[in-house]
Amino acid sequence: MPEVEAIRLAQQGDAAAFERLYQLHNRRVYSLCLRMVGNTAEAEDLTQEAFLQLFRKISTFRGESAFSTWLHRLSVNVVLMRLRKKSAAETSLEEVTEPDEESGGPRRDFGAPDLRLTGSIDRLNLQRAVEQLPPGYKSVFVLHDVQGYEHNEIAEIMGCSIGNSKSQLHKARMRLRELLHEALRDKAREERKAAGGSLGAED
Amino acid sequence: MSTTHFVSGYWNGKAAGLLASGLLLFSATASAHRIEKHFTVEPRAVITIHNPNGKIVVKAWTKHEVMVIANHASDKVEVTAEQTGNRVDLRTQQLADTVAPDDLRADYEVSVPEDAELQIHDDSGEVSVANVLGDMNVETVAAGVALEDAAGYLTVKTVGGSFQCVRCAGRLEVSSISGSFRLLDLRSYHVRAQTSTGNILFDGEFLPNGIYRLKNYSGVIEVRFSPGDSFDLSATSLKGSVNNEAKLTPPAHPQRLSSKFGYALGTFNAGRAKVELTSFDGTINVRKRN
Amino acid sequence: MATIGCKDFPDYLEPWMEGDRHPDALAHLRDCPRCRSLVEDLKMIQTTAQEWGRTESEPPAHLWNSLRVQLVQEGLIHQQSKRRGWLPSLPRPALAGAYLAAVIAVAFGLSGPVNQRINRARWLEGTQNSTTPLRAQFASAEMNATTLSVPDSNPTVTASLHNNLAIVDNYIVLCEKSVNEEPENELARDYLFEAYQQKADLLAQLSERGGSGR
Repeated sequence: MPEVEAIRLAQQGDAAAFERLYQLHNRRVYSLCLRMVGNTAEAEDLTQEAFLQLFRKISTFRGESAFSTWLHRLSVNVVLMRLRKKSAAETSLEEVTEPDEESGGPRRDFGAPDLRLTGSIDRLNLQRAVEQLPPGYKSVFVLHDVQGYEHNEIAEIMGCSIGNSKSQLHKARMRLRELLHEALRDKAREERKAAGGSLGAED
Repeated sequence: MSTTHFVSGYWNGKAAGLLASGLLLFSATASAHRIEKHFTVEPRAVITIHNPNGKIVVKAWTKHEVMVIANHASDKVEVTAEQTGNRVDLRTQQLADTVAPDDLRADYEVSVPEDAELQIHDDSGEVSVANVLGDMNVETVAAGVALEDAAGYLTVKTVGGSFQCVRCAGRLEVSSISGSFRLLDLRSYHVRAQTSTGNILFDGEFLPNGIYRLKNYSGVIEVRFSPGDSFDLSATSLKGSVNNEAKLTPPAHPQRLSSKFGYALGTFNAGRAKVELTSFDGTINVRKRN
Repeated sequence: MATIGCKDFPDYLEPWMEGDRHPDALAHLRDCPRCRSLVEDLKMIQTTAQEWGRTESEPPAHLWNSLRVQLVQEGLIHQQSKRRGWLPSLPRPALAGAYLAAVIAVAFGLSGPVNQRINRARWLEGTQNSTTPLRAQFASAEMNATTLSVPDSNPTVTASLHNNLAIVDNYIVLCEKSVNEEPENELARDYLFEAYQQKADLLAQLSERGGSGR
């Protein structure tokens, strides 16, 4: 069943149509949730919530945007609501980031000594670092670099401007770089400690 | 999940005077049938209301409950209220093939939890919603719509009904053909308002990184700003005029626009929000608040 | 070409990552290993993220089962589709007009390139070829929708729909005129397209009222 037909039938409550829409989109939505929250149990819960909201609201879908964009907007909102509740702060979407230079936050040191990421970064390291990002940065980074959305799509999904999406992405990448460097330094420190400890034991 | 408490009343229209004190929201003329129902709901309940003619008033309260009070004069329509899971459906059903316009009317007063999501269809009459923070979809033909202190994803569509939104937040999309819009004290990060022949007044905040798109075919678009606001402005009227009081820094790479257009383009202060005003042959005013 | 230092390079970095290779930034990178390292790190993050994105995870099978149960409980899934009430919460049925609006949009998209090298005569001819048969179908849909032979329960609503239809018709005439005069004018075409969509929607609403016997 093509998607357009499935949407039309789902709006009339057709069970097979619901299932078809779920089949078409469940992997992408689940992957998005998993990348944002980092654990499968919560990702399952969020995926279910996103589809539930989708099917409750499907009658309001009027085709003004692509269905997948609409669905992903719903999914991102569901995830962000959960992340915001966790951080226990009521902030707007655009405020869920770290202070930037314009608002007086400290300027980040863009150069990092000695350690290079090339060769040291893999998916797992990156995943761990992404988990530490503030929700706003995390959303844009996951949507753009991981899921492959363009900025105009992200702007529609997140309800922000294209400029804002680009700026958030850049800040997210810079922050990830810092986090990855910190992780590398911690790892190097641990390795030195382990090497020093074993020598000490021999003494 | 559901507990239903059903109260049904029936009184003579001549006792309307007694009703008026308790039911100020309803017509003072005869209301022959009244139903009151209560539904217990979980968070983020969905409430749908389908009513061809009449007043719909929705207010938020602190209970995890939906209360419906509906009045209608005629025997030829009935109001049904049903709950399925976390969804409550309210509907005015026509019982006869032909029903006179006055008999079609039903008025609703609905109290909902503040995080409820609303889907409202009201062809003619009036819709007002206050203090509800869940997403909302309202569609009318001739009925006016008034939202107050609402938030969430708000979509409103009318054919000829006017729209007023006061102190709303979240995201707002409103469209009409001949209805006019008044958007006052808004704290929305995304506003899209489009009417063909109606006027649009926007007197609210321009949030950093917010997007504000107001469009009409003819009529007046008026936007008010304060000296401390910060936005990128693009105001274009194809065949009408643009009157701008904001001192704008012109863009670095100005677009080449036809000299026939009325327009104002540029940045006000740091340009943190994005404001797009478009009209075919109407007038666009960008006015400084006193 | 101005020489920039490490202090200024971050201002060029965001556009650089979007593909904008400013000559000043390029010159600085040739000479500065620190900033080169920064750029390489960001590219590495981007590449690793893209690789991560190529693998999609599948949710467990029980998720759909659990979702389905909840949808049935909420009454969102029906065995047969039911059309209830005055205004079904459906998109308008694929009435000729609503469908035509989409077709017109495609026609405009195909026959009206949005660049400056547009051939005006070809555009006009293309537009007319696309829209003439469609206008005929619109007229037919309008005839069907507006000659209601059933009692009208809500004359206020019907009158509003007719009045607004007249408004939109007038608006279409003026927009078409504008598009004919200035085919390159994207704004005028947008307005015309929107007017057709509004007309399709109104015709669908009128038709529903006629078809549903209300």
